[in-house]
Amino acid sequence: MSETTFMGVERDKIDWKPTIDYTKCDYCMECVKFCPHKVFEVRETEDIKLIIRNANNCVVFCRACSKICGPDALSFPDKNATTQRIREIRKEMESNG
Amino acid sequence: MVENYAILPCNGLDKCAGVISREIAIKLCENPKNEIICPVYYRVAEAKYNKIAGKHPLLVIDGCQTRCASKLSAEKNLKISRQVTITEEAKKHKIELGSNLRLLENENALIEIIQNGLNNTEVKVTQSSVETSFLVKFEYETYQNGKFIFRVPKNQEVWFNENDCWVYVIGNRARIGVTDFVQQNLSDILYFTPPEIGAEIDQFGEVGEIESSKSVFELISPVSGKVISINETIVQQPELINENPYESGWIAELELTDFESDKELLIGFDKYFEIVKNKVKDVNG
Ligand code: SF4
Ligand code: SF4
Repeated sequence: MSETTFMGVERDKIDWKPTIDYTKCDYCMECVKFCPHKVFEVRETEDIKLIIRNANNCVVFCRACSKICGPDALSFPDKNATTQRIREIRKEMESNG
Repeated sequence: MVENYAILPCNGLDKCAGVISREIAIKLCENPKNEIICPVYYRVAEAKYNKIAGKHPLLVIDGCQTRCASKLSAEKNLKISRQVTITEEAKKHKIELGSNLRLLENENALIEIIQNGLNNTEVKVTQSSVETSFLVKFEYETYQNGKFIFRVPKNQEVWFNENDCWVYVIGNRARIGVTDFVQQNLSDILYFTPPEIGAEIDQFGEVGEIESSKSVFELISPVSGKVISINETIVQQPELINENPYESGWIAELELTDFESDKELLIGFDKYFEIVKNKVKDVNG
């Protein structure tokens, strides 16, 4: 899955990914099993055993993994702010021809 | 009113939210017309509880997002009529739950709110649900990949977002749903959690949830507006979403707030059809 644009905007310009709250996460790895897009990476031998590896693979506006996270350790940016940002970028693109 | 229900709490004893689920079930069962299902005893006394579940609509009370009680119902092939998740309710009502397993002030306040909510909502839903008569005649274009067949409506009134939800617009009303891509990916859909009637939804806001044994899909609304009706039939028969997610399996109807502006971020048939083809190729390798 390497969708490079979302609504005509470069994926890289859209800030949408899960943020892990390490004070809550218990490393059950349910999110890793769940998400098919290889957003997470497991690091068995490190102190921090789970990181966001491919933020741009995360489907913009999807929040599905947070639903299966028991300790509620995953959070996402504000949807409205993200939509607003996408509109702005599109406007900029239009006016730049 | 929660009456004549079979009530299945998750009864999780190592989390406050689980303990709350149990307390709510006990309270609701003070009404002798409700019957409780014990999730632990269910494992060994299947016949007893299958009988109870066969007699009544089922209310499932999950403690946390792991949704063990919902999963148990799926395992046992039970149809869920209503479902609540304690941690979500706590968030909604801005009540902080303790890590203590005893029920203190906050927990008891939440129990009362949820109990009242459960006792009142049902009536509200049936009263205010005003379904538009959408005499929609869909015309489809089909794309086949292996054993999967994907239909995409090509009517001009139908728009899509890149999150695989569609919207059919008539005037200031819209009907929304998921596309064949979602339905095929999830495979057998077991529950549908509808949005609340009257809820104001932003474009790309959550407008319900569908779940299969494989995955959960949060519906991402293509449009902004107020929910004016939901497809009550799929609450009981979520498999209709698999049968036809555009017609019998539609999700909800909204009164539109600003479709002209929403439209800028939607795509029509041509573009969505291309996107779906690419997604299917990605998934099937
Ligand atoms: S599901 Fe939640 S608790 Fe489990 S590893 Fe992922 S973030 Fe951590
Ligand atoms: S939000 Fe969706 S796409 Fe993003 S990491 Fe979670 S499950 Fe994967």
